[in-house]
Amino acid sequence: MKPVRFDYERPVEIGAALALMQDEGRVVKIIAGGQSLGPMLNMRLVQPELLVDITAIPALKRIEDTGSDLIVGACVTHADFEDRRVPDVTAGALAGVARGIAYRAVRNRGTVGGSLTHADPSADWISILSAVGARVILRSASGVREVAVEDYMLGALAADLNPGELLEAVRIPKCSASARWGYFKSCRKTGEFAHAIGAVLVDPDRGVFRAVMGATETRPILVIDRAALFGASGFSTGAAEEVAQAAGMGDLLDRRTHAVALRRAFEQADAA
Amino acid sequence: MSMVSLTVNSRPLRADVEPRTNLADFLRDSHDLTGTHLGCEHGVCGACTVIVDGEPVRSCITYAVACENAQVTTIEGLNDDEVAGELRAAFTREHGLQCGYCTPGMIVSARDVVLRMPDASEHEIRVAMSGNLCRCTGYVGIVRAIRSVIVERKARGAAPRADLRTALGPVGSGHAGAFAGGADKTADAPPARIASPVSRAATPRETAKLDADFVPQTSFPQSFVVAHPVDVVWDFFGRVDEVAACLPGASLVGTPTPEHVEGQIRVKVGPMVAEFQGVADISRDDARHAGRISGSGRDTRSNSATRGLIGYTLTPVEDGRATRVDVSIGYTLTGMLAQFGRSGLVQDIAGRLVSAFVQNLEARLGQGEGAPAAPVVTELNAGSLVYSVIVSRLKELWRKIAG
Amino acid sequence: MTKQGVGARLPRKEDDRFLRGRGQFVADIRLPGLKDVAFVRSPLAHARIHGVHIPDACRGRAFNATDLAGVKPIRAVTTLPGFKVSEQWPLATDKVRQVGELLAVCVGDTRAQAEDIAAAIELDLEELPAVHDMVKARDPGSALVHEHWGDNVFLESFMEVDIEKAFDAPIKITRTLSTARQSMAPMEGRGTVAHWDHRKEQLVLHTGSQMPHIVRNGLAECLGLNQEQIRIISPDVGGGFGYKGILLPEDICLGWLAMRLGHPVRWIEDRRESLTAGANCREHHYSITAYADRDGTLRGIDCEAIVDSGAYSSYPFSACLEAAQVVSILPGPYDFPAYRCRTWSVATNKCPILPYRGVARTGVCFALELVLDAIAREIGMEPHELRLKNLVRPEQMPFDNITKKHFDSGDYPQALNRAIAMSRLDEVRARQAQGEADGRLIGIGHSIYCEQGAHGTSVYSGWGIPMVPGHEQATARMTPDGGLELRVGVHSHGQSMETTFAQVAHEVLGIDTARIKLVHGDTEYTPYSTGSWGSRSMVMAGGAVATACKEVARLAARIGAHLLQADLAEVVIKDGFAVAPSGQVSLQEIAHTWYRRPQDLPAGIDPHGLESTIGYKPVRDTGTFSYAAHVVVVAVDPELGDIEILDYVIVEDGGKLVNPMVVDGQIYGGLAQGIGTALYEEMQFDASGQPLASTFADYLLPGPTEVPEPRLDHMEFLAPYTEFGVKGIGEGGAIAPPAAIGNAVNDALKGIGAELLHSPITPRRVLEAIEAAKVAKLAGSVA
Repeated sequence: MKPVRFDYERPVEIGAALALMQDEGRVVKIIAGGQSLGPMLNMRLVQPELLVDITAIPALKRIEDTGSDLIVGACVTHADFEDRRVPDVTAGALAGVARGIAYRAVRNRGTVGGSLTHADPSADWISILSAVGARVILRSASGVREVAVEDYMLGALAADLNPGELLEAVRIPKCSASARWGYFKSCRKTGEFAHAIGAVLVDPDRGVFRAVMGATETRPILVIDRAALFGASGFSTGAAEEVAQAAGMGDLLDRRTHAVALRRAFEQADAA
Repeated sequence: MSMVSLTVNSRPLRADVEPRTNLADFLRDSHDLTGTHLGCEHGVCGACTVIVDGEPVRSCITYAVACENAQVTTIEGLNDDEVAGELRAAFTREHGLQCGYCTPGMIVSARDVVLRMPDASEHEIRVAMSGNLCRCTGYVGIVRAIRSVIVERKARGAAPRADLRTALGPVGSGHAGAFAGGADKTADAPPARIASPVSRAATPRETAKLDADFVPQTSFPQSFVVAHPVDVVWDFFGRVDEVAACLPGASLVGTPTPEHVEGQIRVKVGPMVAEFQGVADISRDDARHAGRISGSGRDTRSNSATRGLIGYTLTPVEDGRATRVDVSIGYTLTGMLAQFGRSGLVQDIAGRLVSAFVQNLEARLGQGEGAPAAPVVTELNAGSLVYSVIVSRLKELWRKIAG
Repeated sequence: MTKQGVGARLPRKEDDRFLRGRGQFVADIRLPGLKDVAFVRSPLAHARIHGVHIPDACRGRAFNATDLAGVKPIRAVTTLPGFKVSEQWPLATDKVRQVGELLAVCVGDTRAQAEDIAAAIELDLEELPAVHDMVKARDPGSALVHEHWGDNVFLESFMEVDIEKAFDAPIKITRTLSTARQSMAPMEGRGTVAHWDHRKEQLVLHTGSQMPHIVRNGLAECLGLNQEQIRIISPDVGGGFGYKGILLPEDICLGWLAMRLGHPVRWIEDRRESLTAGANCREHHYSITAYADRDGTLRGIDCEAIVDSGAYSSYPFSACLEAAQVVSILPGPYDFPAYRCRTWSVATNKCPILPYRGVARTGVCFALELVLDAIAREIGMEPHELRLKNLVRPEQMPFDNITKKHFDSGDYPQALNRAIAMSRLDEVRARQAQGEADGRLIGIGHSIYCEQGAHGTSVYSGWGIPMVPGHEQATARMTPDGGLELRVGVHSHGQSMETTFAQVAHEVLGIDTARIKLVHGDTEYTPYSTGSWGSRSMVMAGGAVATACKEVARLAARIGAHLLQADLAEVVIKDGFAVAPSGQVSLQEIAHTWYRRPQDLPAGIDPHGLESTIGYKPVRDTGTFSYAAHVVVVAVDPELGDIEILDYVIVEDGGKLVNPMVVDGQIYGGLAQGIGTALYEEMQFDASGQPLASTFADYLLPGPTEVPEPRLDHMEFLAPYTEFGVKGIGEGGAIAPPAAIGNAVNDALKGIGAELLHSPITPRRVLEAIEAAKVAKLAGSVA
């Protein structure tokens, strides 16, 4: 279980990385922490001719406070969130979720940008960052664009990344003091990929209500209309199941599991 | 080969290794530091855990070259370490090891837990150690040992870790500047991609055996209506090159006959690319307006193969002015790409492929006979277009929910 | 009891090297000129081979079956009537019959380079329909794994005792149950390093093995070498659990390569190979009918069982290892008068089924114990009371059961009663009745088994596999400075033998365990042995060590008598001394005299010196029967199907415990594996015979949060036929958990009417069972 032979380049500037990605003569892959790509390389599921390591680019490990948002570089790790080297702007949501990603040794190298771009529906960042309303900043030689995290995943293992484009950073809106969050994932064992995720952010002062059903085998399901989930007697599991069904979740038990996960995330948010 | 320099157990070590050499193999094979064990090589079992820049890291999915100039400590470097010494005594006292294979990774992770979580409860220890698998002990002795070290250190007021990490980004990274290296160019080594094996797929024997009763393991039935009479649509489906052009990533080799076609389909799944080369047999029942295209192909790179079946039935609707197309696309996958438990992911990918196929069919048929026929979706991963299919179906719902 | 002898919780002698990363496993062996090996494996489960073409660029570095002409296939034959023989070629010749089967072997400077070469080998395979379902494999018209057989059955086994007498029983319960295919998944995979030693004219094969001598038997047969031309070294072994008790085709290829190439070669199995091509075990399917009276008295058991044996009969245990045993062990620890059981060992296009801790017993226990609970629910009885009515009673011991198993000793009802008391059944029932605030459902379940271990010649000769254990030998040899070397043919893969055999020797001779060295894992230096399997090492090799040490004591006493000028009859060996009324002399002095100052000894001294190699068998070789009762309390989340283990109690009888700490460790480890069987581990296959678990992300091993710390209690009914009264206990921990947990889950769900009959009990299966029960209830209310 060893990778195919590949060339390796480690640029120190984004421009150089983008230039290397233009190489049409070779199959080029970007690697950051390598915690998702590494296993696929070892199993030869991915057979690049050139691996471009972007972890030496200081700009990708940068954190910037714009006043309303926190911009976090793509190569910031799960452990950076967990240990709060990334300032908390989400009432602890991101640090709390980061703590439950895979295992500590993986969190020490796995990156937020890598996770989002790998686009595994069961991964944590895609769900919680959708819930907090984050956006990804994508850079290419021709410029920069931004996409909401929930739109960045097109489907299983497919991110909305054009050829020659690199995820540069994640823009995380700051929560108000009134924000409450909940996150529930259903796993068969600790650190396993989730089978259902419920992620919730309610921030009354900002007028934000965002509920996510994640780990759907495809894109997360985002609900921003409280009325779609809550009836007179509170959270309606049945309504959540209907939302899941409308979004294409065909299996009854899957729908129920996701609805329960979402309900428990709301319960956690209420308890906070 | 590339010269990689690391500081291992406080000694500078260098070795000329390929970029594909992981940190564990660098330590084990280049420097005989065999205390670091490989248990799964995909980052789950934890046997290979070593310390890089003071933090535990999986050495099986971390390339040595990516840690250039980093500080690495292996189990062999913990002989005189205070916490490791306490852990060794506790593991022996509590019978925290049997076969000893997972033990070096356990000690490395346990040391991190002791230093980083000085107040950890038993449950917190279990959660924190969940990235290290042991098949012998049932974890009883391991958890007791770690707990006893934590309790004992707390009782005597031992200081928790002071040198907390401040740098951002993957541990091990950021110690070296730009690297522009190549792969091995030495004459002795086999070519980097040994003659990407001559494909048998051009004349694969198995394709001669396309059994008529092949039943795909996964099928996606779909229906749509086009504003053309049945005969027009039936003619279209008879032109296999046009049908193939609707399948994202597909291309034909040579000239197809009405019964037989050769070609390939390229499927890109995230970082993975599979190129199935093969043949397909075509059969059509004019009376029933039903046909099937049954194909098989192989991707030599992943040593995987697929068999696919496209079945279609045309039914006149709207008094013959339009046609309902019932199309079912199914496949069976074998080989490495098939051998994973998360079938839902594969189904999502296949489902998107099928959606794109149907979208292209609809578009082409909608343009009518003879119209220029550029497919809407040319490669599955050019995703936003594919996604628009799904979006359009859900538009109403999204309007309702998302406002 | 002495501090270091039998019964002492002695810390392990072997720990330090492992804790410092200085263990030496196969992959750690360094030899000059060593090259790495990778295999080309079949991507298909069933296919005809039309070609395995080696490109010119790879000549000399890749080899196919044609190159291996002259090497013989692995044949693991039994003498059981009707057994059909399979031939497993080291590299497949005409057909491949499982995914992962070997087609070519490639050699590179590194493993990565060997894999590059493997990727360049061109395969021309014609896919054939795969036999992937053992139940359908018996249907007429099924595809055939071995065409010339005419069907897919390795062996049919049958036994019947008065079954018709049970048919009028008022209670009749029928269930279909199954256990999933699993992987033993030792943390270290298989591995082999081979080279030809020119000085000794010997093939030296390092391989992590539970049974080096048996590997040598098989290797000699396949490679056509004499046994003295082969040396097998098994270094530190990173867990085995049965997987390292098998001769693999890879071992044969490596031996052949070493001879062909003249330099050392190394193959280290990776996890993908292990899961998809090698380490498979346990796939049982049962249809059971139990007959009982209304008071819970069992009247009879009628069973048909199928075991998915995979494509080939593996060496040395054969393809009927499990199914043939099911017939004889299904009755468990119970006494009932009528029995019928028919089993089939069925060939499929999957990996051969290999032994795994608790061989056959785990599946049998799951099937029988779940059916017993179904009876208890039917008649409204506490399940343990039903069991107490039917367990063999202590006053019946020793007891020959309905299949003629000779239960040697013990008190089964006491084990169950103690476990029930420890679990505080009444409190659990009260809590269950009250209900949980979080909506979860509480269930309590238990199971009890007895495990035949260390069974010998009389049992295996009837089976007639390539390996029949006879006497187990050990060597004890004093060193000139008063230390002791022990040599045994069994091999530790985590069982702590370096410590526990030293304790046995210490018990006899009184030599400090720090001065006792165990030599094992090398055919060059150790007596022949069938190795470590079947919970036999302490009973057999421990017995042999004790016997050899007693002989050394006898020899030392003779020298001691001379040195003390005492009458031999007056001399006893005690605490490292020869003691006589006239005084005492240390064993160290005795050894010094024998080796270094022979001039001090009379001419007529016993020439055997201070060394003995001697064979041992228990007084009766039908096996020891350790047993245990497991009780578990679970909470089932009916919304998500999650199961949490709240409490786990084990009461077991392993006879005399040589090192209670080590025994506890074996039980903890067995329990963890049993929990894996019960809740997590499953090798799934699709209809093409493709394995769907190739990583630990697909195949879930329990981690620290999935395995609770159980509460243990020991009983010590000494085994009547063995040295010290020890019983084999290595495997027991893995036998009972699936049954106990299954019963607990079914107890939790009984109000809903849901019942789980397939392991592992996954959240999905729980939710499906609940859903099915709701539908059934609805249908019932409509009707």
